[in-house]
Amino acid sequence: MSDALLSIDKLTKTYTTGSALLASGKTMIRAVDAVSFTIANGETLGLVGESGCGKSTLGRCVTRLLDVSSGSITLAGTDITRQRGAALRETRAGLQMIFQDPYASLNPRRRVRDIVAEPLIVHHRGTRRDIRDNVAALIQAVGLRSEHLDRFPHEFSGGQRQRVGIARALALSPKLIVADEPVSALDVSVQAQIINLLTDLKRERGIAFLFIAHDLGVVRQIADRVAVMYLGNIIELGATEQILAAPAHPYTEALISAVPVADPARAAHKTRIVLAGDPPSPANPPRGCPFHPRCGYATDICKTTKPALEVLNDGRFTACHHPRQG
Amino acid sequence: MSNLLDVTDLAVSFRTRSGLIRAVDGVSFSIAEREILGIVGESGSGKSLTVLAILDLINDPNVVIAGSIRFKGTELIGQKPGVLRRLRGGAIAMIFQDPMTALTPVFTIGAQIAEQIRIHTELSRHAARSRAVDLLDAVGLPDPARAAARYPQELSGGQRQRAVIAMALSCNPALLLADEPTTALDVTVQAQILELIRKLRDDFNSAVILITHNLGVVAETADRVAVMYSGRIVESASTTALFADPHHPYTWGLLGSMPALDGIRRPRLATIQGLPPALNRRPPGCAFSPRCAFVRPACINARPPLTGTEHQVACIIPAPERATARTQALAA
Repeated sequence: MSDALLSIDKLTKTYTTGSALLASGKTMIRAVDAVSFTIANGETLGLVGESGCGKSTLGRCVTRLLDVSSGSITLAGTDITRQRGAALRETRAGLQMIFQDPYASLNPRRRVRDIVAEPLIVHHRGTRRDIRDNVAALIQAVGLRSEHLDRFPHEFSGGQRQRVGIARALALSPKLIVADEPVSALDVSVQAQIINLLTDLKRERGIAFLFIAHDLGVVRQIADRVAVMYLGNIIELGATEQILAAPAHPYTEALISAVPVADPARAAHKTRIVLAGDPPSPANPPRGCPFHPRCGYATDICKTTKPALEVLNDGRFTACHHPRQG
Repeated sequence: MSNLLDVTDLAVSFRTRSGLIRAVDGVSFSIAEREILGIVGESGSGKSLTVLAILDLINDPNVVIAGSIRFKGTELIGQKPGVLRRLRGGAIAMIFQDPMTALTPVFTIGAQIAEQIRIHTELSRHAARSRAVDLLDAVGLPDPARAAARYPQELSGGQRQRAVIAMALSCNPALLLADEPTTALDVTVQAQILELIRKLRDDFNSAVILITHNLGVVAETADRVAVMYSGRIVESASTTALFADPHHPYTWGLLGSMPALDGIRRPRLATIQGLPPALNRRPPGCAFSPRCAFVRPACINARPPLTGTEHQVACIIPAPERATARTQALAA
């Protein structure tokens, strides 16, 4: 697709664990297994899944914080998969990241002013005065006040710290921000403030987001499209409302039904699918469909043949032999 | 009706250099036998301290606990350490957010559960061990005999939480205190654990106090809900009544902040302006008043009492005006 801002093609990330001395003791873990998707300019793609499904690893590969094992990452027409040095630095100006833990991702010894200015200094964006004005504007844009500029991270609450992290990510006017669980460490009322801030930034600045989260409600609030991951694979991809209202993959269906509803009247009528067991280890994935041991609809073909991610009649993609929709 | 637990005017304070800080500021509630009470609140609301105070588990030399906690008629505050020790893990058991808080990595799961059984009962080593396996089976661990022989770190997070619940159930507790038991778990595993907690009441006749920040978890699990803000209960009602007709503006704010999975997707979430007050700078009147859209002069000076019988609320907005205010809050 030519109009895609970000295009991921068969991205794979493997890790080797176990003894380095004995080749026989080594296990290969496919944390991300030949994943492909695109993100258009200004679009927000929500990436959901449970712990260990590979969603954070995928986010870190996209921002090149991790090297990929195979496959390609194309940003605005440029292949950035193996970029290094000055070229990679230039790429990163347009490709920023927001982290989950606002306590760990800000340097405790630096003032907010310096934290937000750092990317501008590294990338030589303007004179000292330009940078100072720019930082003041950024801090306002994320809902903080100018008196906050001279404070240290520990003087802020979690939500305010996350705002500082967002200001830093915005400093270089990126086209794409990878946000890895940006609100999951926050209380629900603060979480709502940050989601609203991100929604505003997305609209006003036309920034595209890869929004990684495990909370489907949060993803629904912010994402245009959703990709669901299970054991390193995207198993369903489509428009947010389409997927959440009528999931096609049995795992998506179970994931949605497991979310507790804050409404006892509706909770009483909802059909709950309680999955048995835990997700299998990526070190030892099942043969065939990775979800088949926990799936209520699995048949013989699911045990032997891994389903490919294919488009359904309603335009969404799913990797299932027995899709529930479309 | 006689209550299993009656907490009256509980205050948990800490001595600091700048004076006494009241983290839990006059909390009263009761729980009947076989009842599941959900306590909801955000970080710092005092919900965990309230429950830790019941078993005198706040490990801080500067803590001061006042008020009354009566369990089956016996006062627990100021009780002898030996009496509390027999209660802990016996008639009152507790599970935590992180199951590793309650497990040691150097003994097997089965040995740890059997140890607790032998402390509280006269069972032989062998009988305690087989009861441990039965309990692991009851909480739904696959292959319980093998699980009993494993070390905690060999189990997944959900399995560990099941093992801790099995340990908590080992002496048929009348009351189970569960502090954010599913917060660290994935949503599909959370659904399994919540189903297990609901089942406890039927199989073990346990009452449960479930502490959580997640309104959805409460809605699906609890019979009654208490909402805490800044160390106080601001609203308490049956789960059905609380969600059908929430009375307190803070509860409205919490419900509005939650992104829903169905219904209309609002372009922006409702938010509560500002942050909860620091505990040493709690305003003299209603603690929520600085953030409340419906604040009146009377809210500033005097602390609103928790009034009502079935549906209690600590808010002075008169009932007839509440519906109008709620409509405004929903529109905002």
